[in-house]
This record gives sequence, structure tokens and C-alpha cells, in this order.
Amino acid sequence: MNIKFTKVEGNSASYWAYMALTGLVAALAPLTALYMFINGHHVTGMTNQVPWGMPIVMAVFLIGASAGSLVLSAMSSVFGKTEYKPFARIAALLAILLIMAALMAIILDWGRPDRILVPFFHFQPRSMFSLNAILYNSYMLVGFLYLIAQFKDNTRWMKILGLAAVFIAVGVHSGTGAIFGFVYVRELYGSPLLPPSFIAAALSSGTGLMIIALYLMFRATGRRLDNRLISSLGRLMGVFMMVVFYFLFIENVTRSYAPKNYEAASFLLFHGGKYTLMFWLGLGLSGLVIPTMIVFHPRYGRATGWVLVASALQVVGVFFERYIIVIPAQVMPLEFFPDKEITSVFGDGQFANYSVSLVEALYSLGLMGVVAFGFGLCVKLWPMLPTEAVHIPPEAELAEAREVHEFWG
Amino acid sequence: MSVDRRDFLKIGAVMAAGTVVSSGAPLLTAAMAEGENSGASARNQWGMVIDINKCSPDCTACYDACRKENNVPHFPEPELDIHWIRKITFKQKGVPGAEERAMPAMCYHCQHAPCEHVCPVAATFTRADGIVLVDKHRCIGCRYCMIACPYKARSFVSRHVEHDPAENPDAPIRMHGVVEKCDLCVHRIDKGEKPACVEACAKAGGGGMLFGDLNDPDSEVSKIVRTGKATRIRADLGTNPRVFYVGI
Ligand code: SF4
Ligand code: SF4
Repeated sequence: MNIKFTKVEGNSASYWAYMALTGLVAALAPLTALYMFINGHHVTGMTNQVPWGMPIVMAVFLIGASAGSLVLSAMSSVFGKTEYKPFARIAALLAILLIMAALMAIILDWGRPDRILVPFFHFQPRSMFSLNAILYNSYMLVGFLYLIAQFKDNTRWMKILGLAAVFIAVGVHSGTGAIFGFVYVRELYGSPLLPPSFIAAALSSGTGLMIIALYLMFRATGRRLDNRLISSLGRLMGVFMMVVFYFLFIENVTRSYAPKNYEAASFLLFHGGKYTLMFWLGLGLSGLVIPTMIVFHPRYGRATGWVLVASALQVVGVFFERYIIVIPAQVMPLEFFPDKEITSVFGDGQFANYSVSLVEALYSLGLMGVVAFGFGLCVKLWPMLPTEAVHIPPEAELAEAREVHEFWG
Repeated sequence: MSVDRRDFLKIGAVMAAGTVVSSGAPLLTAAMAEGENSGASARNQWGMVIDINKCSPDCTACYDACRKENNVPHFPEPELDIHWIRKITFKQKGVPGAEERAMPAMCYHCQHAPCEHVCPVAATFTRADGIVLVDKHRCIGCRYCMIACPYKARSFVSRHVEHDPAENPDAPIRMHGVVEKCDLCVHRIDKGEKPACVEACAKAGGGGMLFGDLNDPDSEVSKIVRTGKATRIRADLGTNPRVFYVGI
């Protein structure tokens, strides 16, 4: 398949409106971070009981989506899935932007973001954070080189770098899962299944985001998009979702088996209030069951609109998954004496409270703005978008595509 | 690594000199990381034995003394407050009418300290004599150590703290955006004194806190630990705290 990639002109009023809007939203991230730094973290919902809040949830979510995108991008060059070639560039670009936003999420949330250079000079090889810093940076580099190879249309390098991208994406996600998986003292963290289940969720949310991004880009630029491409991506996402489901099932059944974990398991699964709702409704029902049913349905699975709905539900579902990985483990009291009831002025033995503060919400929104703004900028600067993405051009769709107005100009 | 740390601490010392009026050693000084020249030597392994039978639920002698000694401020929200040592009350689970007992909890200066293992910039380190310290000039405030410490011994300073000239000038300067915790009153240990909590417990409390060298077979703490009556909290985790309890 010979695909031509072009830039968007980016002269229309709607393009500038998009850039202005996303630019403003993006500015929220550094501004809220500055606000947190100047005032101290007491302006957030984070406390000494729950030291990691929404910024870390966002970071984990963005890293996941990024790793998923990069693997998708590599599909065409590494696994010979030529039908995925039209979005190989956008996917690689998204992957880079998402990991940059994730790093920003983490660093600006530090109590001392002014010490950004410290990690470059001091290293602790036992720390998953230290190792991940290396992983994230090499991942960004590989993603970047891979994108360049695509621009040069160098098939050999595309294969090599694509393969490297797949490996490193797996590494990045295993590493992120291990940040939590290695914390053996908290029952809801320490699990060897976290790294692989992170990868599964990364692939499904990455695919979901890709479907949405593809659709929006093609619509906005009046390009033609074959709905069979969307439905095949949808089914791919369905497969990933089933793997996520499998890991969740195994993890929770294992956790529920040992009496020492009864409390943790029943907190998450039954009496955790909003966390339980997020688990069953946010992640389980609307994030996995419903979208899986849609994408494998003989009729809805072929309808672009429905696949888009499934993708959106699934992306939100994975967001909930990240939230219930990061937060409830901290909300649960640490077992000081596993067989005693304890109390103290420092909240020992009690469930902590955490809710996302306005500052953290704006901060998170800002991070998404950064991705959206960067995307708008890059598609204008470089030829990222294919002129069309089709299996075999059916006449009816051609006619439909012509009617789509030129949003981006 | 030690060279870098010394530099960091030097910068810190300069900064502190601007903040603190007079005073001999206001900050964690290079010597503390260096070991030998501070009197910190691998020959000593400082530790504690706390006899809970002598600890009453309403005594706060150790807690008050620690706050005073280390200038620990009170933040209005209890969940943001900084705690170097705290009193925990506990009773047997599943036994109605079980007696309520109390104990002080703090940083246990673990031999295999998870906080140190996870710290990405090695801001948390163990001194030659087993005291686990945080270099607040290097800490980036990522709070991973708070997630990993099984004993909730660490607090994040989430506000700026104004320094009061009446404060104890020997204690480290407080810094916002970093994590801190009990340092066993290292500034006192280096002068050959005992931690403030131990001293206060002996004077105003039940006298159940003992401090000493676990490496010295003749120290009081070693003698008790040798009898096998002293236990560690969450020994199953393998962190090997250097603080032991009698009577749990
Ligand atoms: S008690 Fe916590 S803070 Fe202290 S050394 Fe052990 S793990 Fe670190
Ligand atoms: S908060 Fe500071 S001491 Fe704790 S892990 Fe991060 S850098 Fe290390």
C-alpha cells in the first residue's frame, strides 16, 4: 500500500481556534504546578496519609496510553500489518507527546520541582523510580528515532526501531507497574501481576485513544477513513480488554484467598464506597464489559459510531483502573500490628480520605491540553497525516468523505 | 557519592547560616554523612528498646519533647501534620473488652530500609552508625519513601514554616516540599547525649525508653535484646528495625 503523508495547512480560523484553546488549557499545567510549589502541597487533596494523588494517577494513565500507541505504531512495520500504516506516524507522535506529558505530570508534582537536575547526578539503582527515569528517556528517544525513520521511509530502520520500540514499551510499562508492584507492605500494591496487567491496559487504552484520535483527525481535515480500519482496530482493542479482564480476575481472586488479605480485598471489591463503584461500574461494566460487547457485535462492531463509543468508554475505564491502582492502597491503613486494632493522632488504623482538589483537576486538564496542543503543532510542522486510510475504496464512502467540510483548512 | 553529599550539605550549611541567628551546628552537617569525623562509626549501631509495660496511654512526654527539641510545627489539618514520633494505642483484635495499651512509634532506622531502597536520588541514606537520615537538600519531594515505609514514619512538609528565633538552634532547619522524619536526635547523639524522647521518658514519663549501642555487648539495650524478650514491629517484612519493644 502506497500512502502519502501530508501536513495540515493550519491556516483556517478553526485551526487557530483549536490551537488557542488547547494552548490556554495547556498553560494550566505549569501554572497550577507553580501554585502548588509556591503554597506547598497543602493546596491539593494529598496528605501525609495519601501522599500520591491525581498527578500520579495521570502520570500512570498517560504512560500507559503512550506505550499502547507506540506498540500500535510499530504494528505496520514490525508485524507487517500494512492496514495500520496510515496511522503509524500519528501513533508514534502521540506516544512521544503522552510520555512527555507523563514526565511533566510527575516532575511538576514533586515537592521540589526546582531540583529537576538532581536525578541526573544521583542515582539509586534499587529504586524503580530511578530505573524508570532511564526507561522513559530511552523510550522517548527510540520513539523519536522511529518517527524519523518513518519520515525517511527507511524500511530497514523502521523495522529495527519499531521492534526496539515494542521492547522498550513493554519495559516502560513493566517498570511503571513495578513502582507499585514492588511495594510489598501495602496489600493492594504488592503484586507480581501488576507489570503485565499494566501492559494489557496500556495496549487497550492506547488503541482506544488511537481510534478516537484517528477519527477526529480525519474528520477535521476532511480525509477519508475506511470504517473497516476502525472496526478492525476495535476488535484488536477487544482482545486487549479481555486480557485486562483476565489479569484483574486472577489478581483479585488470588488476593481474596488468603485471610490476611480479606480486609484489603473486601475494601476494594465490596465496601470501599467510591472505589468499589469505580471498580465494578467504571472499570468493569462500562470500561470492559460494554465495550467488549460492542466491538465484537456483528453489527455494532462495524459501525464507526459505536466503535467510537466503545473506545471512549474503554479509555475512561482504564483511567478508573489507574485510579483504583494508585489511590485505595494508600487509603487503607497500614498494618502496624496485623492482629491488633490501633489508633493514633496520625490516623493509624483508620481509613484515610482523599478527593481530587480543584488544583489537581486543573493540573490534570492542563496535561491533556499539553498533548492536544503539541499534536496540533506537530501535524502542521511535519507530514503526519495520510491523505487517506482505506482497505479498498468503496464508492459510497468516497462520496461521503467529499461532503465532510474542511475543518482544519 | 560522599563527595557530592558533602557538597550538598555545605551549600545547605551556607543557606542555614543565613537563616539561623548564631548557633554552632544548625544543620545536618557533612560530618553526619561522613561518619568517622562526626563520631559516627560502624563500631556503633545505635538502637532503642522500649518497654511498653511502662508506657501509659495518656503520657505524651516523648512526643512533646520531640516536638520541642526538633522544632516540629503543628499544622492545622491533622492529616498534614508532621510527626517524628507519635503515640499509638492498641488492643487485641477480636477479643471483646481487651485492654487498651500504648506505645510510641517512630522511624525505626531499619537495617534494610525500604525508604532508602526506593529513593530515586539517594537522598535517604544510612549513616555508618545505622542512623537513617534524609538529606533535605537533595530530596526532590517525590514521596515514594512515604509509600514504601511500612511504619508511616515519614512526613511531607506541605507548607512553608516560619522559623521562630526562640527555637532550638541545634535542630535541622525545616524545608518545605521535602520529606522528613525522626533522626534519632543525631545532633545530640554526636555530642554523646541521648535522644530527647528517651531523656523525657526517663524524667517525666514511665522510663521505658532505653537508648544505646546494639554493637556493645555490655549496653543495656544489647542485654535486653539478647534475652529474646524484645520484639520488632512487623518482623515478617525483614526490614530489621533498630528499635525493639518489650511487652507487646
Ligand atoms: S521506619 Fe520507615 S522511614 Fe524509618 S528507616 Fe524504616 S522504612 Fe525508613
Ligand atoms: S521524597 Fe525525598 S527522600 Fe523520599 S524518596 Fe523522594 S527524594 Fe527520596
